[in-house]
Amino acid sequence: MTRQMRQILVIIGFVIGFAISFVIGAGLLTPATIGTAHALTAEEMLADPALESRARNLSKQLRCLVCQNQSIDDSDADLAKDLRREVRTQLVAGQTDAAILSDLRAKYGDYVLLAPPLARDTMALWLAPVGFILLGIAITLGMRRRAAQIDSADNSISSADRARIDALKRQHENLNKRDTR
Amino acid sequence: MSRFRPSFFIPLIAFLGLAIIGGMALQSTLSGNRNPSQLPSVLIGKAAPDVALPLLQDRQAELALGNFQGQPLLVNFFASWCAPCRAEAPALEQLSEQITIIGIAYKDRRSDTTEFLQQYGNPFTAIGMDIDGRAGIVWGVYGVPETYLIDTAGRIQWRHAGPLTRDVITTQLLPQMAEMQ
Repeated sequence: MTRQMRQILVIIGFVIGFAISFVIGAGLLTPATIGTAHALTAEEMLADPALESRARNLSKQLRCLVCQNQSIDDSDADLAKDLRREVRTQLVAGQTDAAILSDLRAKYGDYVLLAPPLARDTMALWLAPVGFILLGIAITLGMRRRAAQIDSADNSISSADRARIDALKRQHENLNKRDTR
Repeated sequence: MSRFRPSFFIPLIAFLGLAIIGGMALQSTLSGNRNPSQLPSVLIGKAAPDVALPLLQDRQAELALGNFQGQPLLVNFFASWCAPCRAEAPALEQLSEQITIIGIAYKDRRSDTTEFLQQYGNPFTAIGMDIDGRAGIVWGVYGVPETYLIDTAGRIQWRHAGPLTRDVITTQLLPQMAEMQ
């Protein structure tokens, strides 16, 4: 078995390992997700479909403060229910979506919004992913340039040396074949 | 391959950096300086919201915080169904000798609130009924018990979510009260 094949096997092993752990993780999480998928009850809903769809849209942007990583649209918690009702009361009173969000933000802080607002102290949070992508691109380009340099360096070898390298490569392959037998 | 390659150490340095950040976060959590479930109140320094609430003893009369202006106040959201509220009852009883305490019964029935006060003592100068939890939303309450300290000008100086333990009272509340005088 060549070194290259062994490396490929290791990579495949890692991928399978990650896949298994994701499947197990998802399996553990699903019951909770199913249990809370339909938090909204029929009597909460508004008669006007346009207002109701705005209410749903707003609910998805608002964090349930007791369950913390669910939106109030997803959560069965009492507070989530109260906040859903608050959103609908304000919608019926003719408030705009932005006014409702900023009203709740004034009471509960930025934390009530699932997507943090773009401000000076959240800049790092928003820009970090872009930074990492750029860093990844830079590293990839750097590696490719280096590989290209090595390739072009290879061409400058004299024909005598080239013949010697080829002879050594053949010898090495023969040795490998004997090993695997 | 004995050539020194600085890029080899990048993952190691990145790992050490993350380990130090994680270690510092863990350290501050364990030492009690940082509680991830404790959300900061955005109302600190702002005027306490004055939501008119019916009184426990008299449906016709309303609780108005404005009536108490000129003296420091403690506003305590509690409920008969809330176990930590029972735990903090003796602490509130003791505090009531030093400061006027206003109780707001959060999503509770009058009969249950009355029974709770008979059983665990009544440290409150006045009690408002927030039956549907609307006042709780205006105050940014996300769970009972929650306690607010209000200065003589009617501004919120301090907020604590969760029961008032001896530790919270001696290290936070009493120093805040002393500062106001």
